[in-house]
Amino acid sequence: MDLLTITGIWISIFLTLAILSFLYDDNPIYKFAEHLFMGVGIGIGTIEIYYGVFQPKLLRPLLEEHRLLSLFPLLLLVLLFAKVTRKHQDWARIPIAFIVAAFAGVKLTGEANGRLVEQVRASMPDLQTLYETNGWWDWDNGGAGVISGLVLVLGLCACLLHFYFSTPHNKPMRAISRIGILTLMLSFGASFGFTVMGRISLAIGRAEALLGLDQPNSLIKLGSMEVHRMTATRWTTVGTMLLVILSIAWLKRRAANSAEAD
Amino acid sequence: MLDLLLRFQAMDRRWVFLGMAISIVVPMLLPFNLPFKVDGRVQDLYDRVEALEAGDAVYISADFDPGSRPELEPFFRTHLHHLFRKDVRVVMGTLWPTAPPLVKPILEEIAGEYDKEYGRDWTFLGYIDGRELAIKSLGQSVRKTYPLDDRGNKTADLPVMLGLDAIRDFDILTSVSAGFPGTQAYVLQIQGQYNLEMASACTAVSAPDYIPYYQSGQLFGLSGGMPGSAQYEKLVYADTPEENRPRLAATSGMNVLSVGHMYIIVLLFLGNLAFFLTRGGKED
Amino acid sequence: MKRTLPILITFVIGVIMVGEFFIPHWRYRALTGELLEWGIILTAGAFILGLVNLIQVHLPTVVERGTDWGYKAVLLVSLAVTLAMGFSNGKQRLDSGMEVSFSYKWIFDYVYVPLSATMFALLAFYIASAGFRAFRARNAEATLLLVAAALVMFASVPIGEGVPVIGEYLVALKDWTLDVPNNAARRAIFIGAALGAISTGLRVILGLERSHLGGD
Repeated sequence: MDLLTITGIWISIFLTLAILSFLYDDNPIYKFAEHLFMGVGIGIGTIEIYYGVFQPKLLRPLLEEHRLLSLFPLLLLVLLFAKVTRKHQDWARIPIAFIVAAFAGVKLTGEANGRLVEQVRASMPDLQTLYETNGWWDWDNGGAGVISGLVLVLGLCACLLHFYFSTPHNKPMRAISRIGILTLMLSFGASFGFTVMGRISLAIGRAEALLGLDQPNSLIKLGSMEVHRMTATRWTTVGTMLLVILSIAWLKRRAANSAEAD
Repeated sequence: MLDLLLRFQAMDRRWVFLGMAISIVVPMLLPFNLPFKVDGRVQDLYDRVEALEAGDAVYISADFDPGSRPELEPFFRTHLHHLFRKDVRVVMGTLWPTAPPLVKPILEEIAGEYDKEYGRDWTFLGYIDGRELAIKSLGQSVRKTYPLDDRGNKTADLPVMLGLDAIRDFDILTSVSAGFPGTQAYVLQIQGQYNLEMASACTAVSAPDYIPYYQSGQLFGLSGGMPGSAQYEKLVYADTPEENRPRLAATSGMNVLSVGHMYIIVLLFLGNLAFFLTRGGKED
Repeated sequence: MKRTLPILITFVIGVIMVGEFFIPHWRYRALTGELLEWGIILTAGAFILGLVNLIQVHLPTVVERGTDWGYKAVLLVSLAVTLAMGFSNGKQRLDSGMEVSFSYKWIFDYVYVPLSATMFALLAFYIASAGFRAFRARNAEATLLLVAAALVMFASVPIGEGVPVIGEYLVALKDWTLDVPNNAARRAIFIGAALGAISTGLRVILGLERSHLGGD
């Protein structure tokens, strides 16, 4: 394994621990890593945008294919960049109007079809088919059946009525609204459960990287020694952790001393 | 006991962080294996992909980044294995700028394992910006949306794109999605308009949001988070001898997830126990 | 004219894009296809505008040694290095083997990946802390939320599924929670959100909503 790769692995462990150091307290090493993340992330985004959009869709059609129609988006782009100047920033309204209108148009039909029409259509269960397939309640099928079909429709209507604020809620409406709230609470509870699952999964990924479990445990050459990759990674993690802890302690002491001196 | 619970309730949160770290690291160092079942959404996804024939074409939108790798990369890898095993043509694009450096090497690696040739059996079209506009454009014409692929070759001239232009020309569309733009945008913008057969692998956070799309038939399969990826791994490698299997990252993560979940449940229980015991006499 | 032209453009483009869903005629599709291309280019341009703005904000602070100038210098230097490596590596930047030398791919693999992944991994710790300190069953609704969360967490993992006798019922109950009340609530939210999005889209296209054009 060459020196650059070993350095890269060490840097990745250092940066992982630098971010994790925020769990203890905000510190200069975390801030350094955070700003490095922003700089590199924006750089990557810019590069991919250039090679993914500007080169194939603007530069190549204009410079190689001499496509005159591509002058229009170029002109709009120039007008958009007028936003950085104070004097001419009003010209940027034209491309902004174009972008907003395009998105408004596609989102309007998308939401209408994908969320309104399709979801309302799917919310009208065929109770006869449900009874024939699952009966009243089928434990083997996650509780599917006629009862669940009815609960779904009633729960949906109750939630929709809960969000209807155009007239004050009378007593029957308040009762229905309460059923809606309870349905929403079950949904949000399920969401919370899945959110926990998702977050822990991400932590598992980093823990695997720090413990060397995400790569094959091959033998690697470090100078004259041969060592298993997992062992090398774990020792590097422990060593880097000590380094990060000592660095943060030293930086905090230095900050405290200079505050005292002031 | 009450005093202990009160002190526990007021303890520095860094102890909670340490507990979380221990509950993740210990099961990794002392692994165990518990079986798990496959749920219907993942089974449906597997069954439909399994029904594909040699020469069919799949469009994969790989919209995830390093932040969501543990949940989605296992599914992504397994899905590619599944598709190449069936000699399906794979065309891949992405709507996330930080995805190409992540997904392209994986596609190349797995395609190489099956001796699949670039341009004939697979291609990576690269990144496209524009969110819903890009998706709408894909619906009309994949070739126009991506005039060149990632290697700078004309998309229309690639053998893998033979007979494929509009998104409806593909047999299925798989969205491996970590957020926005992703599955939801595809479902809303083009799934209904072109009546596409579409599957999704999403993060656990998004899974409850996409279940209605599965229920309504807008998605034929849904894999949610690490459990979904693990279940898909179980199905795809069911007949593969253990020595021939690649590393099943999601499957090995499931048991760590079990311990992590138990830790959170215990914390919730203890926090509420302390709350209830100290509540006596106080009005809410 | 300063506002009239943009409002007119909003109306025309908006109507054309709404029509894209309904009119499959190839000529109309050619028009909307071209407009979609322009929109994609402009959206990418908006990102670059953000980049220019970022440099405009941070560079003076670095030059004048303002607050946190060191961190801002790190941001700008890392941005510059990434851009330099990306442009110099060109189309080969993502090729396998590029990571063995200092390159765009090396920066992505050894700098961006650990930073990005760990930023999100922090959330696991914060959700544990938040759940422990703030999640209280103060009333019936909160209790129901807590019970649903615990059920989903427990029954989604092998430990929960493997509980003797009741394990399979817990899994069925979890599936039912996701397929019925979760479905009902999400659909209600989707329907409400769709109605809101339709009305907002119409307001924008008809020129009733002009906040995107800024003040006079």
